[in-house]
Amino acid sequence: MTLITGPLWSGKRDAACRLLGCTRAELAAHAVWDVQELAAACQDPAGLEALADRLAEGYEIVILTEEGGGVVPADPAQRAAREKAGRLACLLAARAGCVVRVFCGLPLVLKGECKL
Amino acid sequence: MFTLVIGGAASGKSEYAESLLLGAPGPRYYLATMEPMEDAECRARIEKHRRQRAGKGFVTIERGVDLAGLALPARGDVLLEDLGNLAANELYSPAGSGPAGALGAVVEGVRHLRAECRGLVVVSNEIFAGGRDYAPGTETYLRLLADAHRALAALADNVCEVACGLPIYYKGAKP
Repeated sequence: MTLITGPLWSGKRDAACRLLGCTRAELAAHAVWDVQELAAACQDPAGLEALADRLAEGYEIVILTEEGGGVVPADPAQRAAREKAGRLACLLAARAGCVVRVFCGLPLVLKGECKL
Repeated sequence: MFTLVIGGAASGKSEYAESLLLGAPGPRYYLATMEPMEDAECRARIEKHRRQRAGKGFVTIERGVDLAGLALPARGDVLLEDLGNLAANELYSPAGSGPAGALGAVVEGVRHLRAECRGLVVVSNEIFAGGRDYAPGTETYLRLLADAHRALAALADNVCEVACGLPIYYKGAKP
């Protein structure tokens, strides 16, 4: 599995399409995106681990938007969700053969090797 | 040569961007895009940037919108600071292009500027890693700046992110 991460609207799905050689319409057959939103539903660390396993085994490419860069939210639920999203990113990166961060449409390989 | 320099608040991006043009023969233009607000923080920030640039040989040009209509006094090097303000002006200012035209005005404006000068350095803001739970309307602005970043990164010779005053190059190298 390849993990593609990066800030909002940085071109992550386009990078996934380039990597897979597919169109945006075909992407859903190979990849899953906005997985940071799935983390909030996990009750405990084991739940997050299980989610990371399921994503890593189920998809060629997993796409996660970075959202830990702003001010810590005052709302406890938002704070917990953001924390879990960041933890999920780390768990996915540990399972990934390749990790790519996309910035302004430009990919930077953080782990492993992939042809971009 | 066109270099895009992006960083978070107070990351050292301005000083790094200035340093890229200090070896240029001149004239050196500082293109200030901020339409200043009448508050003390804003005035103090402008003063800080002026002090930082003092003695570095920049001629300041203030231009908040419509870069495509800007003619430089002479062919030289330009430091545009910053894209975030330019995008906000095009989107929200009465003189701007509005929601439908802002992206085109920003991208075509920079493209025009690049053709007008020798070396161009554009400074912009990294504001996209803090989630998207903002007031309505803010997402329109975020989206505009993100789209402008990708379009300009594709046009640029060099693209870097500055953290703690240090550049990370995603494209090209230090010019």
